[in-house]
Amino acid sequence: MPRWGMVIDLTRCVGCYACSMACKVENGTPPGVWYSPVYEKETGTYPTVNRMFIPTLCNHCRDAPCAKACPTGALQQRGDGIVEVDSDRCCGSRACMNACPYGALHFYENGRDDFVQGSTPFGDRAYAGLTEGTVMKCTFCSHRIDQRNLTPACVQTCPTECRHFGARAAPESNVSRLIREKNGSPLRPEAETDACVFYLR
Amino acid sequence: MESANPFTDRLLIEPKPQTTWRGPHAFWFTAMGIGGALFLNEVLFGIEMGRVLGLSLSHLLSLVLIGIGGMVLIADLGRPLRFLQAFRNVRHSWITWGAICDFVFMTLDGLYILPTFTWVNGARPFAGLPTGPGTAVGGVFTVVAGIAAFVVIIYPGMVLAASRAIPFWNTTLIPLQFLAFAHASGLALVLLARPASVNGALLLSAVLLVLLCLLAMGAHLLAARYGREASRESLRVLLRGPLAGVFLLGTCLLGLIVPLILGIVTLNGAGPDFAASAFIIMGVLSVAGNFFSKFSVIRAARFAPLI
Repeated sequence: MPRWGMVIDLTRCVGCYACSMACKVENGTPPGVWYSPVYEKETGTYPTVNRMFIPTLCNHCRDAPCAKACPTGALQQRGDGIVEVDSDRCCGSRACMNACPYGALHFYENGRDDFVQGSTPFGDRAYAGLTEGTVMKCTFCSHRIDQRNLTPACVQTCPTECRHFGARAAPESNVSRLIREKNGSPLRPEAETDACVFYLR
Repeated sequence: MESANPFTDRLLIEPKPQTTWRGPHAFWFTAMGIGGALFLNEVLFGIEMGRVLGLSLSHLLSLVLIGIGGMVLIADLGRPLRFLQAFRNVRHSWITWGAICDFVFMTLDGLYILPTFTWVNGARPFAGLPTGPGTAVGGVFTVVAGIAAFVVIIYPGMVLAASRAIPFWNTTLIPLQFLAFAHASGLALVLLARPASVNGALLLSAVLLVLLCLLAMGAHLLAARYGREASRESLRVLLRGPLAGVFLLGTCLLGLIVPLILGIVTLNGAGPDFAASAFIIMGVLSVAGNFFSKFSVIRAARFAPLI
């Protein structure tokens, strides 16, 4: 069973936010919850100014601190490395949210009343699968991987092909080669979570 | 020290504040700590608070505080009715260990003191239970409950200390602080409850515990001063930011310095009237300061920047 990983090439990301929107559509996340936010930052001083875009998501860490902190065991790592939340077991302690170095977990309180004009049919269908009072997170679009052998929505949508998805453990996979050849690094390496998402600069 | 940043020589994303846990968690931490400390003070050092309806006040307050702390925690859960699920992750989760020890303590301590319950007419309906003081089973219960009480005191601190995401929390100085504050508040409550029975040794212990709290807190702040960006931001928030009032006034001045001064003055031969008033003030301020310290630590937490 492959251990999934992702490589994000920061030199190619143009900050279009297509990945964030694709993720929201694919997973039907409620208002304010973004599984794959893109952070933007200006650096330097005039006239040498640069903008940097950093797409982030759950890193599906091999040593997942969220799973360790969870008292109910609702956060479990699959054999392929994807960390998922069992919303039937989650009690909403939010200990995982304080344990995650990447801010990848989100608490779903009650999203149905967020729109003044009321929910849409898409929202009704999407939110029907959510459990209030529990935590939610990116799953590398495991439903796409498992059922249709597809890549995550953010990877498929990216117009600059800055996201690469594949088997992290296989030495000749695309992600492994990119990490090796272009010195890929995870975010916050000092957290020692053995993350599966790497960045190229 | 900052680790090598492979992307840039400057941090790009500022430390984000922790907003998940707030006042209810501060109350939970405080109540658990004081409850556990009151129990350990009596069983380890014989420091009693008196009796109510035949029941040891220390044991009774321990039960009440730990019970209320647990109720507050359960009420704050997103799905409170699933609280029994919190016993599952024994391998890794400090919250699970805390929940188990809470339950063990309340059960064993409850069974321990129940035989001593004396109704107003002198009746002792549970005197026949073989679990009370002076019995072999009662002795075993005391030992196990004592271990559970110790875990109850420190596990909230361990929950915070285990978080690698928040540098200000990720230190063993947090559970040590919690232990010191718990015992300081527990002893201060004894001074408040039984001022006439306070002797020099007890008062000196109370003063030394306050000093220990100051030492533990000072060490923590010093570590934050020379720590990562997020730790330094937490320190700035505590000393010059929106939490400065709660921390400097509530925790440091009212919770520690005023009780320390009152304790030292009383030790140096103040009269009984002054001593009685001082003990009441020390008791109240110590508990309040304990709560403010937990609240400050929780709200000052900042996630380390992603880059």
